[in-house]
Amino acid sequence: MDAESRVIRSGIPALDQVLQGIWLGDNVVWQIEDLEIYQFFARPFIAQAITDGYVCVYLRFASHPPILDPQPGLVIIELDPSPGFDYFSAEVHRIIEEKGRKVFYVFDSLSALVAEWTTDELLANFFQLTCPYLFELDTVAYFALTLGKHHDSAVSRIRDTTQLLINVYGANGEHYLHPQKVWSRYSSQMFMPHVIQGNKIVPIFHSGDAAKIGVLSRKEPLRAGAESIAPWESVYRKLIQYRDCDEHTVNEKPEIFSLKQELTHMLLGSTPPFSDLADRYFTLKDLFNIRSRIIGSGRIGGKASGMLLARRILLREDGDFDFHPFIDSHDSFYIGSDVFFTFLVNNNLFRLRMHLSRVKQISSHDEFEEVERLFLEAHFNDEIMEQFRNMLDYFGQAPIIVRSSSFLEDSFGNAFAGKYRSEFCANQGTPEQRLESFLRAVKLVYASALNPDALSYRNKRGLADQDEQMALLVQRVCGMPFKKYFFPPLAGVAFSRNLYAWTDRIDPNKGIIRLVFGLGTRAVDRIGGDYPRMIAVSHPELRPEKGDKVVKYSQREIDLLDLEKNDLVTMPVEEILSNADYPNQHLFVSIFKDGFLDDPAFVLLDSADGADGEYSEYVLTFNNLIRKSKFVEIIGKMLAKLEHYYGLPVDTEFTAYIDPKGNCHVNLLQCRPLGLPGTEGRPAVIPGDISPGDILFRSSRIVSSGVVKNVRYVILIDPAGYASIDSLETKKLMGRIVGRINSHPQIIEGKSMMMGPGRWGSSNIDMGVNAHYSDIGNTSVLVEIAREEAGQVPEVSYGTHFFQDLVEAKIVYLPVYPDDAKTEFNADFFENSPNVLAELFPDSIEYKDVIKVIDVPAATGGKSLQVVANLQTQNALCYLA
Amino acid sequence: MTELNLFEITHKQLDECAEILQLDPGVHAMLRSPMREIHVSLPIRMDDGSVKVFQGYRVQYNDAKGPTKGGIRFHPDKTIDSVRAQAAWMTWKCALLDLPLGGAGGGVLCSPKEMSRNELERLSRKYIDQISEYLGPHKDIPAPDVYTDPQIMAWMMDEYFKISQDQQFGVITGKPVAIGGSVGRADAAARGGMYAIREAAEVLGLDLSKTTVAVLGYGNAGHFAASLCSELLGCKVIAVSDSRGGILNREGLDAKAIQRHKSMTGSVIEFPRSQAISNEDLIELDVDILIPAALENVITDVNAGKVKAKILAELANGPTTPEADDILYANGVHQIPDFLCNAGGVTVSYFEMVQNAYMYFWDKEMIHQRLDKKITTSYHAVYNASTRFNIDMRKAAYVVSVMRVVEAMKVRGWI
Repeated sequence: MDAESRVIRSGIPALDQVLQGIWLGDNVVWQIEDLEIYQFFARPFIAQAITDGYVCVYLRFASHPPILDPQPGLVIIELDPSPGFDYFSAEVHRIIEEKGRKVFYVFDSLSALVAEWTTDELLANFFQLTCPYLFELDTVAYFALTLGKHHDSAVSRIRDTTQLLINVYGANGEHYLHPQKVWSRYSSQMFMPHVIQGNKIVPIFHSGDAAKIGVLSRKEPLRAGAESIAPWESVYRKLIQYRDCDEHTVNEKPEIFSLKQELTHMLLGSTPPFSDLADRYFTLKDLFNIRSRIIGSGRIGGKASGMLLARRILLREDGDFDFHPFIDSHDSFYIGSDVFFTFLVNNNLFRLRMHLSRVKQISSHDEFEEVERLFLEAHFNDEIMEQFRNMLDYFGQAPIIVRSSSFLEDSFGNAFAGKYRSEFCANQGTPEQRLESFLRAVKLVYASALNPDALSYRNKRGLADQDEQMALLVQRVCGMPFKKYFFPPLAGVAFSRNLYAWTDRIDPNKGIIRLVFGLGTRAVDRIGGDYPRMIAVSHPELRPEKGDKVVKYSQREIDLLDLEKNDLVTMPVEEILSNADYPNQHLFVSIFKDGFLDDPAFVLLDSADGADGEYSEYVLTFNNLIRKSKFVEIIGKMLAKLEHYYGLPVDTEFTAYIDPKGNCHVNLLQCRPLGLPGTEGRPAVIPGDISPGDILFRSSRIVSSGVVKNVRYVILIDPAGYASIDSLETKKLMGRIVGRINSHPQIIEGKSMMMGPGRWGSSNIDMGVNAHYSDIGNTSVLVEIAREEAGQVPEVSYGTHFFQDLVEAKIVYLPVYPDDAKTEFNADFFENSPNVLAELFPDSIEYKDVIKVIDVPAATGGKSLQVVANLQTQNALCYLA
Repeated sequence: MTELNLFEITHKQLDECAEILQLDPGVHAMLRSPMREIHVSLPIRMDDGSVKVFQGYRVQYNDAKGPTKGGIRFHPDKTIDSVRAQAAWMTWKCALLDLPLGGAGGGVLCSPKEMSRNELERLSRKYIDQISEYLGPHKDIPAPDVYTDPQIMAWMMDEYFKISQDQQFGVITGKPVAIGGSVGRADAAARGGMYAIREAAEVLGLDLSKTTVAVLGYGNAGHFAASLCSELLGCKVIAVSDSRGGILNREGLDAKAIQRHKSMTGSVIEFPRSQAISNEDLIELDVDILIPAALENVITDVNAGKVKAKILAELANGPTTPEADDILYANGVHQIPDFLCNAGGVTVSYFEMVQNAYMYFWDKEMIHQRLDKKITTSYHAVYNASTRFNIDMRKAAYVVSVMRVVEAMKVRGWI
């Protein structure tokens, strides 16, 4: 298109003259002092466009009076910016996409967005994201900004992106128009101030007049001098004077309290009930401390907020237990949520993210690798880079961890457990090398917002369109160096409710601890063949294993940071412990020797293979820690206090150590509400009147409650068939096939129950089907077919991220013991019902001996499958009705 | 599935021997019942302050050959009949080794997993309180069994000392070495099995240095068996397995390296330079010696016909079903029955008593040497009986045991 045919009419010929015409594709940003001026330019613009036959759209989202009145030919679309930048940007994008090419837009004042989003950064992001798309579609769009009330860096970014930037201001009783940028157009007077006189716009050449206007106008001469109206800065400016006020004064003065509340919401989010807790327990000083440790701007996300709130609650002086001597301080930094979007927008990744969030067919793990590559190639702006350098200087060579702390993650009702990544940085090397590793970690965590598991989870829970900003939490790795390694002696997760109460003696309300030696990654994830110590807080010594089974169900590998390799590594525990020189080792290990496990009576002197040459080994049982230290008591009291204040069961992550005097110290890394199955509504009642012929199986030792009605499909991985597969690759493939079945529309619609040998979600394929959450996310019931003699003891899957996902998704998880007479396992039904696998997936017929899909109504003459599981009575029933 | 009554099984085995030996019906009847049974109630104060009453048993089956000896089990599903069976088998096992001991068994109905260490200690002590008058190094000597361990034996011994006012270490075996336990116990069962295999090879004319071995099950016994097979006998172990599968390398496997691999990964599978093999295939592998070392009933009428090994050394308890016994015997597979093959454990327990009586302790070499002698002698007694009566080795072992008990009863003038 040549320049002439691109020119449109603005409705004000004088303006067209000054600007040498507005073109199709132009984004026109008006920096104004009041809205009337914006109306002055926008109204003729739309009137002219309607006359000229263009489609005109007014995007109405601010609380200020309307810029345009309803009129024939004008489409007014109302939008709500309050859900956040992410949601709003996506909506605007959708509208632009839908309306198509050569549409004329007028947007409400963009400054109104700042009131909702609190920072200029997001405003600039929105503009930077939206403007190029409008340009691509040859539209013409009018935007307004309040002049001199936005941060210089934001205005600069807008200036760099837009085609036209025009200031309009008043001075000396006149209004002046002063173009700042007019892309690809030039005249000798274009960038002079112009006075608006009726329908004329006249340039001011006289130097004296021009200087007078400059002096008399209210705007700051340089953009850097502007005081932003964005609450991020304005609230802070207003509150700083009260920084040292005591809590009482702040809470008693409504105006201060409401500002404090605003600051709390800006930093931590405004979703109740979390925000209520935050309002109540954070002091102004706490909030300033948080703000001073934020890189960039925006919120600090769910994980960081949860950690801070929990610490604040624990350290409150009430009750009879003083946590101060036991809870370590922290010096974490937060990468504000705005940084994530700026990163996406600046590197053209936002649209990719929007695309991946929306497509129904979730991308494969291979495609995700490509996403990661794009993220790794992307860059941060100089300002953020400088803050990163500052932070790294602060930490020196201390190992750090970059943890995702997104809005949805760890907030009430959504545990995005393990979907987003955490990355360790051993943080060794020159400042440049350390910065490089840190940037890589940040980018990988950012990329994980797009991983298929996370997207699938968001879709499943109807969160796909919700605002999901990714803040990051940068924490010092707790621990101490040992030889060339760095790790905490104790780490784990603790829950205030114990769903794995495998004996009546255990009080489920006292909670459970999943404890490991070394980094907590092994407690959080579910790793086949390696076992954390499960400690029931009510009865810490009890465990479901005895004798040499304790050895089998113990932790064999440790995750730690290798300071020489500058990396996270996994290695045999034996290599760390065999010389018996790890501090306090006698508290963590038992000695398996002479056919029994013995807890050391004193510090260890010898390697496990002692002088007498008898076979022996150190086994991580933590028996002495449990028996002789306050560790369990502290964690138990911590869980009780947090549950009391939260008013909900909680799920925490911690590290701990024992100091040279034998005192226990805990570092609370995370706290969030624990999703508990079976706590909603009435308890699940196991029907007693089912005829024996309709019973498919009973289950005991169950770990979740629930009622699932009218299940149509059973997807059965035949244990014998699975065991007979020799090739590891083929075994792995089974998980992928299950994943395909899981996403088949008929299966989703009809409800399904998946049954398979051993542990679901195990990374060890011999222990069970290697399925990710996304492979099983649509099922309603997941059944573990446990055969003890085959080594498939139902594992304490509770506490793992995988299990947490199941709980959150309300997937009922049941172990079933076909070999136990009490199970009443109807092998005949499962063996003899027709397999419809080939009907659903004709290309999978070769796996029909391993994977069976039963269409229950077809196999039973119209009945469907029902499951009732009651955690309290530890019984579950699966039957036909 | 109907639960097997273990005591009925011991009756069946005894009845077969009685027929072979043409035992007097009165003698036969006496051997079918335990001599003495003690039933006790054990009130225990639990950690939460409540009192719980547990049921305990001690069955002294037959003491014709000497003081009775047998394990104590802490198990929730224990029936008196299973304790009787345990006591009967101990009688035959001690007699087979020609130890100056009778057989006993005992236990407490409890779920030790659901009890704290303190509760277990109180229970162990209370049990001894209640039966102490029937115990003593010259009366009845308990030992560890299912869910009891050297720690529990130590508590029991200590309690016995308090009551008897007499520090007789030999009242209980399986104690920690620090308080009178014997060295050499860890690998005793596997080591005893090796001596029996060596004798069997001699009888069959096999050159052990050219034999291949497969070990089914890689717990304690399996691991020691694999490592001793090469160390002691010079055989080549080519396959081993555990519950998750097996590994095969026809050039031979290094048992110590496998143990390291297992302690790191939790399984023998995926051991470097080996190929995967199922447990089923391992049983049918073309090897000279097959050692089932972990589970019961793995060799059944279904696969017994496919066993290609020349020697089947039953290191596990009850790995072969009675139907499989007949097939193996018909096919000429030389079985070393479990209660001979794994009798090294009880033999070293006996050595522990002897050392306690001496108040002087042997080194490992002495233990090994004396164990060798005991097992070798017993093996040949069984083998001779098998030839003499033309019966399989298991029946022959029972025959030898019963003969020895009956002989003791006769010379003591009981019958």
